[in-house]
Amino acid sequence: MGSEGFYQEFEVFSKRTDTSPLQYQFSLLAPNRELALVMAQENFMRREPVADIWVVKRSDIRKMSLDEKQSLQRLDNKDYRTTKGYGYLKKKWRHYEQEMLDENEILSWGGLKKSE
Amino acid sequence: MSEATLYQEWTDEQKYAHFMKRIEVGEKIEADDWMPEDYRMTLIKLISMHGISEIMGALPEKEWVPKAPSLKRKLGIMAKVQDEMGHGQLLLRVAEDLMKPLGRTREDIMQDLFSGRLKFHNVFHMEAPTWGDAGLIGWLVDGAAIITQTNMLNASYGPYARALKRICAEEVFHAQHGEAIIMALAEGTEKQKVMVQDAVNRWWEALLMFFGPGDASTTGTSKQDITIKYKIRTKTNEDLRQDFFTKYIPRVLSLGLTLPDETMYFDQEKNLWVYKQPDWNKFKNIIKNNGPKSNERLSLRRTAYDTNKWVREALNTAN
Repeated sequence: MGSEGFYQEFEVFSKRTDTSPLQYQFSLLAPNRELALVMAQENFMRREPVADIWVVKRSDIRKMSLDEKQSLQRLDNKDYRTTKGYGYLKKKWRHYEQEMLDENEILSWGGLKKSE
Repeated sequence: MSEATLYQEWTDEQKYAHFMKRIEVGEKIEADDWMPEDYRMTLIKLISMHGISEIMGALPEKEWVPKAPSLKRKLGIMAKVQDEMGHGQLLLRVAEDLMKPLGRTREDIMQDLFSGRLKFHNVFHMEAPTWGDAGLIGWLVDGAAIITQTNMLNASYGPYARALKRICAEEVFHAQHGEAIIMALAEGTEKQKVMVQDAVNRWWEALLMFFGPGDASTTGTSKQDITIKYKIRTKTNEDLRQDFFTKYIPRVLSLGLTLPDETMYFDQEKNLWVYKQPDWNKFKNIIKNNGPKSNERLSLRRTAYDTNKWVREALNTAN
């Protein structure tokens, strides 16, 4: 079972709103993609708001083996890649009587113009 | 065991030790992961029974869809019936992925149901003759289901835990839907009050049975120990029954209803409810499909399955 027949396996993903990331929901059995979409809505979206639904045939997904998953574990030595490794700058900026431009500050810069 | 060797080269003993270590630290086991045979078989039995019970459980309630007393009540109970079928589909998926290495599919689950090899919950073999029963199923049967299902929200098997999270969220609506019906009746006319009390009396024994016997001495087998050992659940059947009493008995009494067990009381010292045991022989008989509605509901399910066979054939791309 899986790639043909009435009971084919599909994995369901959905987005709650236009801006939210795609989230895994669950799997279902359906004879084709169109019915898989209909069933995805009936099975998993009876109440919650939803902006988009994707169905993917399970046989098209390459999953990781346990060995491969174990290779994903990281050593905790990546400070140089993250803002955590540069936190000391806050203190240094204080010396120059300036606020540090941190992630919160920088990501707040989009949007409206000053005059608006 | 050496971490340098590939997992697929490990012996079964090494894999078992690794499996137990994973569940000890709270890691979730996934469908494609190695698992001990008794873990797989226990899960298949538990989850296929749970899934098929959701589907069979929709049948006593769907009887009340055409007879609901108002449009609002009809919409409410229709939504609940649809949820139960949805829960059935979720759970069958979980069971099917576990059965896949054994070459078994949904078709086998349905055939096992029809042949009596796969059992469904004792409560769904019972009659629901009045609107009071429809309310009581939502309030107390779903209440009992919430007690057993929340006990497995952290189950070591990831797909089951995730399915239960979705299901329990909807069960909250079901319980409140049932409460709304029961409270309207309990605050209504004398006739309505009698209707609720009759429903409580009718369902009491089935509700006690819902959690299963206290130990294996009653029915010969019990999966309690193995499900606790493998962290599928944490509490015993009796723990869950006691939790149910503690949560629901004060509420039942507060509505002016009485319990059909006059001997029942709460033993403060032992911190336990003392109650009259249901007839466990009757329980064994009911789950062997000898309950009052077992055959009627099974035949309804079989007819639906047979009548829709042409749809499965028409859409079968393997043909």
